[in-house]
Amino acid sequence: MMNLRRRWALRVLISLGLLAAVCVALFFALPALLIAPATVAKSDVIVHGAISKHSEADKYVIDLYRRGMARKIVCVSSQVSRELYPSDYMRESLISQGVSAEDVISLRLPLEPCDGAYLTKIVEFLKANGWRSALYITNPEDSRYSNNLARRIFEREGVTLSVSYSPEDREELTRNWWRTHWKTQRMVGEAMIISLDRFYSQCR
Amino acid sequence: MRMSGAVQVLNHFRRSKRARWLIIVFACLSGVYFLTPVLLNEAAEGLIREDGLVKADVIVALAGDNRCNREKRAAELYHQGWADKVVVSGLSYDLGFHTGVAARRYVISLGVPEEKISMISETLNTRAEARALNELMRERGWNSAIIVTSAFHSRRAMYTVERAAPGRTFYSSPVPTGAPEWTPRSWWSRREDVYVTVREFTSWANTLVGGWQ
Repeated sequence: MMNLRRRWALRVLISLGLLAAVCVALFFALPALLIAPATVAKSDVIVHGAISKHSEADKYVIDLYRRGMARKIVCVSSQVSRELYPSDYMRESLISQGVSAEDVISLRLPLEPCDGAYLTKIVEFLKANGWRSALYITNPEDSRYSNNLARRIFEREGVTLSVSYSPEDREELTRNWWRTHWKTQRMVGEAMIISLDRFYSQCR
Repeated sequence: MRMSGAVQVLNHFRRSKRARWLIIVFACLSGVYFLTPVLLNEAAEGLIREDGLVKADVIVALAGDNRCNREKRAAELYHQGWADKVVVSGLSYDLGFHTGVAARRYVISLGVPEEKISMISETLNTRAEARALNELMRERGWNSAIIVTSAFHSRRAMYTVERAAPGRTFYSSPVPTGAPEWTPRSWWSRREDVYVTVREFTSWANTLVGGWQ
């Protein structure tokens, strides 16, 4: 009886140990799991969705614009405080850095429960403007999910999509990321978003 | 006849080990099925801390609410006379805006005089915010504060603030629950609430082990 109990205790301990090892391995594999290779294709419009506190993606967007990858830029964001839309400020910043004012638009998005709802609003806007292809600039940790989800939503509406991100953002995000609060928060947050979205039809 | 059939089945279950296991597994699964929603609701309710309202030196609206309902609640408490000062909080962005400034503007639009509002900056997370608040309270000689935050964040915010500022008194008065704010009842059925709740549990774990700051 005692031996049987010990054997069961050992089995449980080994299982817990294995589970912990898998969790640790998954945690450190997050950058590889979340960040997809960037794809850049000539498009009608650049959708700049990487407007966050730690992002330097504006330089990357300007570089793409100057290289003629697209003739228009749409900065997208929802409010971060009362009537405060970072996309408005990003538009001003891009203009001050030499982008023609008539080529940049700020698209204010309402607060939505998930990315799927935001992407639907964006693609509606693109279609309303007659754009058929888009280069979506996002945060690096969001790239693999966007490559999957956004592409599906955009292509369903007849808009071809390529997803990219700033190489500087990627370098910064992946440097000692497990030691920095905001970097870990973004990685783990994205992993949570991807997992949770699968359970809700409006987000898939 | 029917009675003896039932007795036979009962006797069979009493004798058969497999049948007994089947009953145990069935009972456990039923228990999990019926208890899970209750436990999940209780767990979410456990995130909330609401103290009775008491007059304090200052009302603090913590950062991180895109809708600014925390600031709205702080302004309401100010008008009800629970404190004479309001603190708002936020982050500056390189693009040239500050969420704290926007929050301040909103609180002014709700009728709180500009000179009654203070601001704490660069509050990337609750612990940084608690340290900045403690510093501000020390500078201004404030000893008590009403902490206003979202309901799901209220217990952790109080835990963090009380540890960062020992010797001062804090009261929690969170934003009321209910759409579009977080709702604890059946939170798993709404995508917006499920993310907030799971993230809050994760943040609790991080806070308790003293992890990332």
